[in-house]
Amino acid sequence: MEHKSEENLRLLQLEFVGKILAGFTHDIKNYIAIIKESAGLIEDIIKIEKTPKNKSEQYIEIIRSIEEQIQKTNDLFRYLNRFAHRMDTQLAAFNINESLEELFALIQRVANQKKITLARDFQRDIPSVYSNPSIFQFLIFSFLEERMTNLDKNSIITVKTGIKGSSVGVNIFSEGVLRVGQDVQAMIPPEIRTFALQKLTGDISESNGNILITLPVSR
Amino acid sequence: MKKKDIKVLVVDDEVAFANTLSQRLQMRELKVGTAYNGEEALSKLKDEEPDVMVLDLKMPGLHGMEVLREIRKAYPDIQVIILTGHGTDKDAEEAKRLGGFDFLRKPADIDHLEHKIRKAFQEKLERTMTAIAFAEAGEFDTARKIIKEEDEEQ
Repeated sequence: MEHKSEENLRLLQLEFVGKILAGFTHDIKNYIAIIKESAGLIEDIIKIEKTPKNKSEQYIEIIRSIEEQIQKTNDLFRYLNRFAHRMDTQLAAFNINESLEELFALIQRVANQKKITLARDFQRDIPSVYSNPSIFQFLIFSFLEERMTNLDKNSIITVKTGIKGSSVGVNIFSEGVLRVGQDVQAMIPPEIRTFALQKLTGDISESNGNILITLPVSR
Repeated sequence: MKKKDIKVLVVDDEVAFANTLSQRLQMRELKVGTAYNGEEALSKLKDEEPDVMVLDLKMPGLHGMEVLREIRKAYPDIQVIILTGHGTDKDAEEAKRLGGFDFLRKPADIDHLEHKIRKAFQEKLERTMTAIAFAEAGEFDTARKIIKEEDEEQ
């Protein structure tokens, strides 16, 4: 058997997790579709049958509430499915705004618990970048997680995207009070930074609690 | 043309989904049949061709994309709408390249799906009318020639 370094094996393991997750979310989406159609069928029947108006309105209101929850669940699984597919390939062209939006959707619950606002300032019509989509999200997540842990309640973390020459830049900065004893300079753990730099085909710079990641535009 | 004259075939391996969707489309005055895999769908086409097929992609046996390929070869008049829970942007591009009418993701809004089905049918009608018009134009020329010859004889 061909010798694989531990790092390569870890990446293969990541792809494996992605494949399992992608298949799993696909199945869930199918079940959601069945629930949605069943709720819709009940609504159709209520509309066709001569149900008293006050009753039919009540039933339809309940169905609307079910449909609303179905929509929210479906949105989450759609993001989770895309997230899983990010691990399909190590290098690919992808839209950075979509990738960040997906990550935000998946970590919003954590931010809500910590009462921290995740603000977006995305440049529209940004070109696709060519990099490692999964490692990019991992790097952003590592930074956001560190910030969310160390910032006090009611702080704001802003993620800004924009074109920088032949690259696309992601700038993350926070406004708020750091918890007592936290170092403003402490950001991405060095081993994650080194790993990300090897895989991203881009650059990472950090200063005064801000981070700037630049990735090459896809040709 | 009466509303019920639009024939739809729903193809999905999720039996509960295929049946519920079919019922809802029937309530919207469409004539709907179901098939629970790609092979069954192709077999049903031998008996009766639908105007529009609503086709899932990831099914055991014949994949939806293979079904679409077969339809394009053997039944070019059928309009195919892909309805999948597994669709990537790549799949959407591939379906378009193979001549699929539209690509929708599950769960889809029933009114939106109905609108797409009627639009697909309308496009099919227009295509048929154009083909008939061309054929008639050819016949008309021939007829005129005959009339002219008859006139000359007189």
